[in-house]
Amino acid sequence: MKRNAIFATLVAAAFLWGCNNQSSDNESGSEGGKKLVIGATMLSMQNEFIVNVSDAMEAKAKEMGVELITVDAERSALKQVEQVESFIGQGVDAIIMNPCEVEASSPAVKLAMDAKIPIINVNSETSAKPTAFVGSDDTESARIAMKYIAEKLGGKGNVLMMHGFMGQAAQIRRDNGAKEILKANPGLRLLAEQTGEWDRAKGMSLTENWIQSYGDKINAIFAQNDEMGMGAVKALEAAGLKGKVLVVSVDAIPDALQAVKKGTLDATVFQNAKEQGGKAIETAVKAAKKEAFEKEVLIPFQLVTKENAGNF
Amino acid sequence: MNRFSKLGQYGIFLAFALICLALALSTPKFFTVSNLLIIGNQVSINALLAFGVTFVIITGGIDLSLGSMVAVTGVAAASFAHPDTYPLVVPLLVGLAAGSAMGAFNGLVITKSKVPPFIVTLGTMTIGRGLALILSKGRPVSNLSDAFNFIGGGNIAGIPFPIIILLIAFAVCSIVLNKTILGRYMYAVGGNEPAARASGIRVSRVKMWVYTICGLLSALGGILLTSRITTGQPNAGAGFELDAIAAAIIGGTSTSGGTGTMTGTLIGALLIGVISNSLDLLNVTSYYQQVVMGVIIIGAVVLDGVGKKD
Repeated sequence: MKRNAIFATLVAAAFLWGCNNQSSDNESGSEGGKKLVIGATMLSMQNEFIVNVSDAMEAKAKEMGVELITVDAERSALKQVEQVESFIGQGVDAIIMNPCEVEASSPAVKLAMDAKIPIINVNSETSAKPTAFVGSDDTESARIAMKYIAEKLGGKGNVLMMHGFMGQAAQIRRDNGAKEILKANPGLRLLAEQTGEWDRAKGMSLTENWIQSYGDKINAIFAQNDEMGMGAVKALEAAGLKGKVLVVSVDAIPDALQAVKKGTLDATVFQNAKEQGGKAIETAVKAAKKEAFEKEVLIPFQLVTKENAGNF
Repeated sequence: MNRFSKLGQYGIFLAFALICLALALSTPKFFTVSNLLIIGNQVSINALLAFGVTFVIITGGIDLSLGSMVAVTGVAAASFAHPDTYPLVVPLLVGLAAGSAMGAFNGLVITKSKVPPFIVTLGTMTIGRGLALILSKGRPVSNLSDAFNFIGGGNIAGIPFPIIILLIAFAVCSIVLNKTILGRYMYAVGGNEPAARASGIRVSRVKMWVYTICGLLSALGGILLTSRITTGQPNAGAGFELDAIAAAIIGGTSTSGGTGTMTGTLIGALLIGVISNSLDLLNVTSYYQQVVMGVIIIGAVVLDGVGKKD
C-alpha cells in the first residue's frame, strides 16, 4: 500500500514537472502582449516531411514576430476539427491547417470561416474552400518522376510502381500523374503495381518479391515516396541488380538526397517543405492583418539528380 | 491435454504444408532457393517478436507494446551506430538494454499494480511510441555504420544473417520453454495461477522474466529492422504486435494461457510470411491481399481446431 502511494506521488510529480515545462515554453513566446497569434494543426508530427514544414513555420513565425501555437492532429480528422474549434475559442488571429483528410477535415474550414478567422491550408487540400492554400500539386511530382524514367529508358521498357497508402490524396494524385505519362509513352509497360504503404521495410520486401517474379525484366521502379524508393534500392543492391534498374521516388528527404549523391537512387523529386511552411505563415499574417494575399500559392517541385543534388 | 495440443500442432503443420503446396503449383517462382531465403529473411523480425509474445501468452498475459519497443530500441541503437563513433557492441547493448528495461517495466507494473496486462501494455505502447519520437526528435536516425548494417543486410555463406539470428533465437527459446524450470513454471502459471502460487512458485518473478524476455526479443527485432532498412525510424513497428500475436495464435498458443510451443509459433510466422510473399509473386491487388490474408488466418486456426477434436 505504502509503496503504491509513493509510486502514485512520483507519477503525479513527473506529470506536474512536465506541465510546468510546457507552460514556461508558452510564456516565453507571448511576452509582447499584442502579438498576432496563429494556431496551427498538423497532420502528423511523426512524419519527417511534416516536421520539416512545421519547423519552417516556427522559424518564419519567429522572424516575423508572431506567436505560433502548433498542435499535432495525429492523423485524426476528428481531433483536427476539435483543435480548430479550440483555436476559435481561444480567439486566435489566423489558423493554419495541414489537413488530415480531404472530406473529414472540411468541417474545420467551415467553422473557421463562420467565425471570420482566416484559415490557410498547407501542403494538402480539403473539399471546403479555405481562405488560402499553400502547397504543391502532387500530380505534378509523379509526372516529373515518370517523365524522367521515360526519358532515361528512351520511352521503352518495363516499369513497376509502388503506391503509398491506397486511397490517400497523395497516393491518388501520384498515381494519376504517373499513369498520365505512362499513357503518353506506349512503349513503357507497367509490369505490376502494389502498395508499399509509404514504408521502407515494406518497400524492400515488395521489391525482393518482385525480383523473384520479374528478375531481369525490370527496367525501372517508380516509388511514390522516398522511404519506399530507398527500400527498393536496398533490395536491388542485395540482388546485384541496382546497376540495371532505374529507381525514382518523390520527396527528397535527407536520406534520399544522400543516396542520389552517391548514385544509388537515380532521382527524387524535391518538395519544398521550407517554402511551404514559410509561405503559410506569411499568408496567414497578411490575412490576419487584412492585407492583400494570394489565394493559391503553388510551390513548384524540382527534379533532383546526381548533377544538381548538391544544391539541396 | 498434452496429447491434444500435439494434435493441434499437426493441424497447423498440415495447413502450412497445404498452402505451400498450392503456392508451389500456382507459381514456379515460389519454391526456389532464393525465394525461400527471402521469405526466411522477411519473417525473421515477426518471428522474434512472436517468440517473445508466446512466452507472455503462455503465462496468460499479453504484450501490446512490442511494436513500440521495436521503435524505441531501433532508434536507441541507431543513435550509437553512426560510422566511426562507437564499436558495434555499444549500439547492440544499448538496444538490448533498452528493450529489456521496457519489458521489465511492463512486468513490474503488471505484478505490482494488478492492472491487467492488456491495459498496462496498451499504456506502455503509447509511452514507447512517445519515447521513440522524443529520442529521435521525430526524424529517422540515418547514416549507420557498415558493421551495424551487416546484421540485417549481410550474408554468411549465402544465408542472410537475420535467418541465422532467427534460428539461434528459436533454439534458445525452445530450450528455455521446454528444458528449464522457468519454462515449466510458465506453463504452470498460465494453466492455473492460484494452483501455481499454492505450490510455491513465485508467480511475480516468473512474470517479470517473461515480460523482460519479451522486451529483449523485441529489441533484437528492433535492431534487425533498423539494420535492414539502415535507419532508426520512430514510427517503425506500428502494428507489429498484431502480426506477432497472430503468429503465436495461429501456431496453437491459447490466449487463455497454459499452452503453446515455439515450433508452432515459428510455423505461424512462416505462414504469414509465405502468404504475403506469394500474394506479391502472384501480383494480387493489395485490396484483395488483406482479405485473402484474413481468410487464410481464420482458415488455418479452424483447421487447427479440427485437428484438436480428432
